Amino acid sequence: MTEFLIGRGHDGPARVGVYRMGSTKVQTPFLVGSPNTESIIGYATLGRNDSPAGGPMILAVPSPIHDSKSFISGAREDDSILLPSFPAVSFLGPEAAELMLESQLRFINEIQGGVDPSRLIVRIPRQLTPEKLTSMLAKFSSLGVRAASVLLDGWLGPRDYSALSNRTVLPIDWLAIALGRISPSSVPFLFYLGFDVFDLGYANESASRGVRLWNLSEESITGEILPRTCSCTACAEHSDLRELDREKLHAVLRDHNLNIYQSVLSESIQSLRLGRLRWLVESMVHSSTAATSLLRKTNKSLFAFLEEFTPTSGRTNLSLIGPESYDSPTVKRFRDCLASRYTPSKRKKLVLLLPCSARKPYSESKSHKRFINAIDRAIGAARSSVAETILTSPLGVIPRELERLYPAAYYDIPVTGDWDTEETEIAADALVTHLQKFAKSAEVVAHVSGGYLDVVKRAEDRVSQRIVYTIDQHSPSSFDSLQSLQNVLKDMREIFSLKGGPPALFEDTLRATADYQFGPGAGEALVPDGAKLGGKLYRMVVCRVDKEQTCAFIGERGSLSLTLEGGRRLIPLQRYWVRFEGRKLEGGSIFAVGINEADSGIRPGDEVIVLNNQDELIAVGRSEMSGREMCDFKKGQAVSVRHKVT
Amino acid sequence: MSDIIERLEHILVDSTIKARGTSVAKRHRRNPTKPSAKWIAPARIGNEVGVALAVVLGTIGCSHARGDSGGCTMCSYLLDGDERSPTTDELLQQFDDAHSELANEAAPLSIKIYTSGSFFDTTEIPADVRTKILTQIAKDERIQEVVIESRPEYVTPELMRETRDILGSRGIELGIGLESSNDAVRSICINKGFNLSSFKDSVAIAREYDIGVRAYVLLKPPFLTERDALLDAIKTIEDAAKLGVSTISMNPINIQKYTLVERLWRKEQYSPPWLWTVLSVLRDAREKVGRSVNILCDPVAAGKARGAHNCGSCDESITSAIREFSIYQDISVFDSLDCDCMRRWHHVLNHEDISLLIHSRSRRS
Repeated sequence: MTEFLIGRGHDGPARVGVYRMGSTKVQTPFLVGSPNTESIIGYATLGRNDSPAGGPMILAVPSPIHDSKSFISGAREDDSILLPSFPAVSFLGPEAAELMLESQLRFINEIQGGVDPSRLIVRIPRQLTPEKLTSMLAKFSSLGVRAASVLLDGWLGPRDYSALSNRTVLPIDWLAIALGRISPSSVPFLFYLGFDVFDLGYANESASRGVRLWNLSEESITGEILPRTCSCTACAEHSDLRELDREKLHAVLRDHNLNIYQSVLSESIQSLRLGRLRWLVESMVHSSTAATSLLRKTNKSLFAFLEEFTPTSGRTNLSLIGPESYDSPTVKRFRDCLASRYTPSKRKKLVLLLPCSARKPYSESKSHKRFINAIDRAIGAARSSVAETILTSPLGVIPRELERLYPAAYYDIPVTGDWDTEETEIAADALVTHLQKFAKSAEVVAHVSGGYLDVVKRAEDRVSQRIVYTIDQHSPSSFDSLQSLQNVLKDMREIFSLKGGPPALFEDTLRATADYQFGPGAGEALVPDGAKLGGKLYRMVVCRVDKEQTCAFIGERGSLSLTLEGGRRLIPLQRYWVRFEGRKLEGGSIFAVGINEADSGIRPGDEVIVLNNQDELIAVGRSEMSGREMCDFKKGQAVSVRHKVT
Repeated sequence: MSDIIERLEHILVDSTIKARGTSVAKRHRRNPTKPSAKWIAPARIGNEVGVALAVVLGTIGCSHARGDSGGCTMCSYLLDGDERSPTTDELLQQFDDAHSELANEAAPLSIKIYTSGSFFDTTEIPADVRTKILTQIAKDERIQEVVIESRPEYVTPELMRETRDILGSRGIELGIGLESSNDAVRSICINKGFNLSSFKDSVAIAREYDIGVRAYVLLKPPFLTERDALLDAIKTIEDAAKLGVSTISMNPINIQKYTLVERLWRKEQYSPPWLWTVLSVLRDAREKVGRSVNILCDPVAAGKARGAHNCGSCDESITSAIREFSIYQDISVFDSLDCDCMRRWHHVLNHEDISLLIHSRSRRS
C-alpha cells in the first residue's frame, strides 16, 4: 500500500507531507534521480537498467510499443510505478492526448490484481482542456490511483505554462511529480504551485555538460574563466576545478549540483513554515526573464488556484518588492475582498484621502498622528462622519477601519516616492470602486501629493463626487499642508453642517472587519445597533449584545474571534461553515476525515463556524486548510476549535 | 490495446497529410528527361570492392505518399518527383542519362534504381519501361549486382520471375523499407501502411527466384525515446536477418521538408538520433547477426542539425568510421572513438526513458 498524507502548513498550494512507500516513509517534498541513495529516491526504467536495489524507487514502464505488462514483475512491492506512454504524441492534438490517458487506463485494467493502484503514477499529457483532464482523472481516481507526473521541458515557455496549468486540475490529495528539466531556481516556484516531487535529471545533464549549477545561475567549468569558490562538500577540497580530469570533474559537478538542489529545496520548505515562500518565489524568478514571465502569467491565469490555498492570516512581514507582487494572491485577494465586501457606514459624509506610511498600522505613524490631530482640531467629534481612506501600493485603498487587518498592517514596499504606471492604475481603479460606495453628494478631500496625487487625478474622470485638493506639491505632513487640511475640513463642517456624536471608531472598525471577514451582512449580525463595545483597538475590543459576547476584535491581527453566540448569528449568512459528520465534538480539533461538506470559500486561517449534521452550531474555530481540502482529504487537522458546545 | 493503436493510426494519417500540406500539389516542374539524382560511389559488391551507380528516377512518386494515407512520417522523397507522370520515352531517357555515368568504369559494377517509390508500381513505372530498363541492364556485362526498390504490395511471383528472367544470373536485391519489425512502431510512429507479414511474404516470394531482400531499417522514428529507438533498430535488424534478408541498410532519420517529423522537430518534439546511437546499433547488431548478412549504413546529413549528430566536435570522425564499417563490416573501427559528449548521450538514454522529455538539441541551454 502506497499512501500520500498531507501534513499541516500551507503557503499557497505548497504543502508538506509523507509519501508512504510500503513501510518506508518519505517526507515530501523530495527529489528523485539516479542512482538510488540514502538521500535521493531513485528512479529507473523497468527492463532497461539494473534491477531495482536499495530503498523503494519510482520505476517507469517502457513504451506501449512493447508488451508493457511483462515489465511489471521487475518492480518490488514498495516501488511506485510510472505508467507507460509515448513521448510527444500529445503534440498531435487533444484527441491523441486523450488516447494517451486511455491507454494508461487500459494498462491499469490489464494488470488488475497484480499491482495495488495506489502505487501507480499517471503521466499527464498536454493539450487537454481542464474539463476533459478533470473528467479523465476522475476515472483514474476511482481505480485508486493517487499520483500524477507532469512534464516540464525547462524553457519556462507556453509548454511549461500548460504543464503548470495541468498541475492545478489534479485531485488535491494526489502526489504531484514534476519530471523533465527543472533548474534549481525553478524548485521554489514549482513547490509553491503544489508539486511534491522534483526530477534531478537536470543536475546530471548539467554535470555531463561540465556545468555547475547555482541557485540562480549556471557556471560552465570548461571555459577560460576561473571557477567560483565553493565550500560545499563536493567542491571544498578542489581550489580549481579546471585541473581535475574528466571523470573526477563529472563526479564533483554531479555531487555539487545535487547539494544545490537539496539546499534550495530545504530553503523552500523552511520558507513555507515561515510564511515566506511567496517572497522566495518572487525573489528567485528574477533569475531569468522566462521565469518572471511565467510567474506573472501564473498570477493572472492561475490566480484562483493560488488563492484557494493561500492563508488569509499571517504574522510575518509581507515584503512586496516588485511588479510580481502586484497580483500576488494575498494582495489581489485583499483588493477584491475590499471591493466586494466593504460598505462604509452611513454616517460618512466626507471621504478624506491620505497617503500611506511606512509604519503600520498607519495611525501609529508620525504622519498619521499629525493628520488625526489636524482632523480633531478642525472638526472634533464630527470625525465620525469622515471616511479616512489611505492610498497605497499595491493594496490600493485601505479604509481606516481596516488598517490593522492582514495584510494591510503587515506589508512593506520599497519607497522611492515614484509610482510606476501599473501601480498608479491599480490604485486608481481601487479608488474608483471605493468611491462608488459613497453618495454622489459626498465630498472627497484629497490630502495627497506626488504619486498619490497622480492616482487621484488618474481616477478623477471616473469619480462622480467632487474632489477638493488641499495641497499642491508640498509634503502632506508639513505644517502648511496640515493647516490647509484643517481649513478645508472646517469649511466642510460648515457646508455639510457636520455634527459631533458618540465616537464611532470601534463600531466602524468591528463592523467593517466583520464584513471583510465573513462577507456582507456579518457586521450587522455580529455588531447590531446597541451593541456594547469596550477595550482598546491596539489590544482587544469586546462586543457584547445583551451582555452576551458575540466576538472580539484582536488588535494584533486586526480580525475578529467568534464566540459561540457570534457563530450562531452568522449561520443565516451561509458562509464559512463546516459540517461535522456527527452530533457533538470531542477534543480540541476537527479532522478532515470528519468533514464531507464545507463552504468552498474557506481558506486556511479563516475564522469558521462548525455545524453538526442537524445544522446546529457546535463550535467556532480557525481553519487549517481550505474548504475543498477539508472535504477531499482523508487525514489532517481541518479546524482548530476555539469554543465548542459542551 | 489494439483499438487504441488503431485510433492513433487514424490521427497519425491526418497529421501526416496535414504536415505535407500543399507541398505535393505544388511540386516543382522538373526536366522529365533527367533523373532526380544520380551518383556513383565505391561499394562492396559480393566479396569485392567496386563502383555502384545510384539513380533516382523522377516519377509521379510513391503511391503511399500520393494517396489518402498521407505517406510516412519522415519521408518527403515524393517531392523529388513530378506532379505529371513522365512519358515512357522520358523515363527511358532518364535511365540512359544515369547509365552513361558508368561509361568509363570497369567491372564489378552495381546499379541501384530508386524511384522515390516502388519500381514495380506500374503507376510510377509502366510495364514496358520496366522491361526495357531491365533489358538494358542485362546487356551490360559489367553490372553484376542490381538493387531495386519497392513496397511489398508490388512484389508478386510474376514480376519476380520476369525480373529474374531478364537479368539472368546477376545478383539481384530488392530493397524494401521494413523500417521496424514492430508493427506498432511501423504503424503509429511511421505510418508505413503495411504489416510485418506482408514483408515476410515478399521475402519469401523474392527468395523463390533467388532474389535477395535488402531490408531498410529506420533508426529513430518519432514518438520513441532515444533508447527505445536504439533497441528497436537492433531488434529489427536481428528479426530481418532471421527472416532471411540478404542485406540490412540501416538509415538514421534525416529531417525532410514537409514531413510530420519536421513539424515535430521544429516544436522540439523530435530530435534526430545521436551518432553514438547509430554506432551502438551497428556494433550490437553486427555481433548478433550472422556474417552472411551485410549491415550497411550511410547516414544522410550526419553531423548536421537535420541528421544524426553528436556534439559537433566528434561528428566527423564517427561518421567516417560508420562509412568504413559499412565497407569492411568490422566493428573494431569504432574502438578508439571517444568524446566528452558520450556522458550526455548516456544521460539522454536514461532520462528520456523515465521522463519522456524529448531532449531536443536545437536550442543551446
